Amino acid sequence: MKIKTTLLAAGFIASMVGVAHANDPAKLNDLEIAHVAYIADNIDIRYAHLALAISSNPAIHDFAKTMIRDHTAVNEQALALLAKLDAQPQDNFLSQSLQENAEKLITEMSALRGAAFDKFYAENELAYHKAVNDLVGNTFIPNIENAEVKSLFEAGLEIFQAHEHHAEMMVGEVN
Amino acid sequence: MQKINRRNLLISSVAAYTVTGLNLAQAHTTPAEYTINIRKFKFEPDHIDVHIGDTITWVNQDLVAHTATAEAGDWDTEMLEKSQSKSLQVTKGMTGEYFCVFHPHMKGTINIK
Ligand SMILES: [Cu+2]
Repeated sequence: MKIKTTLLAAGFIASMVGVAHANDPAKLNDLEIAHVAYIADNIDIRYAHLALAISSNPAIHDFAKTMIRDHTAVNEQALALLAKLDAQPQDNFLSQSLQENAEKLITEMSALRGAAFDKFYAENELAYHKAVNDLVGNTFIPNIENAEVKSLFEAGLEIFQAHEHHAEMMVGEVN
Repeated sequence: MQKINRRNLLISSVAAYTVTGLNLAQAHTTPAEYTINIRKFKFEPDHIDVHIGDTITWVNQDLVAHTATAEAGDWDTEMLEKSQSKSLQVTKGMTGEYFCVFHPHMKGTINIK
């Protein structure tokens, strides 16, 4: 399982790095970056709903509810800021590749039950938050031009880093 | 003699406070007010020394909701959304560790002097 998850995380990062020649995440504009963040938030909310439906582990339920609560709060802030700036998020290659990856994982996770699901969900949450935090911290924040968008992403990064830490604790609990 | 003075002060300055069952040795003459900011997933300060009868106010300055909840389960601010705050008067049972139920790695302690 550990090996599988490591491969999973590596595959996720590689799929983003692999397209860097043609499609460079560092070249996305603010509105494309906002779109990626919105998609990334919604993906984690979908994983959480799946966890609430399948898992019977109270720690997994608490974590999933926190993911829904926090990612919804961040999305509301993002939408409010975009409305204020009178801007629409723009779909792009990275949003699409995140979405495709998520569809595959949701299909895979949906087939699991019991402890196997809990382990997969916890490890995927850790890998997912790590990958997103790396992207947000090292690629998005240095490239965002609008100061308000940048500060929202900085706040978002702190939230996702807390989630990463929380996911680490949860991985420890289900192993 | 000193005990009587403290008692009189206590009764006059906190008339509304019920003295029944209150440990006078632990009571403080003038109730103080403390603020704990919840910022960047931390309780600031994360340790506080208080007296019974003081008031602690938790203020959530993050975008996401938090709580301050006793590890032992005997007190709770309940959910504090962005910009919300909650004040609790310090009672004997509040000494010890507390955490955020939504983000269990967030921890704080209250010490009753
Ligand atoms: Cu919290």
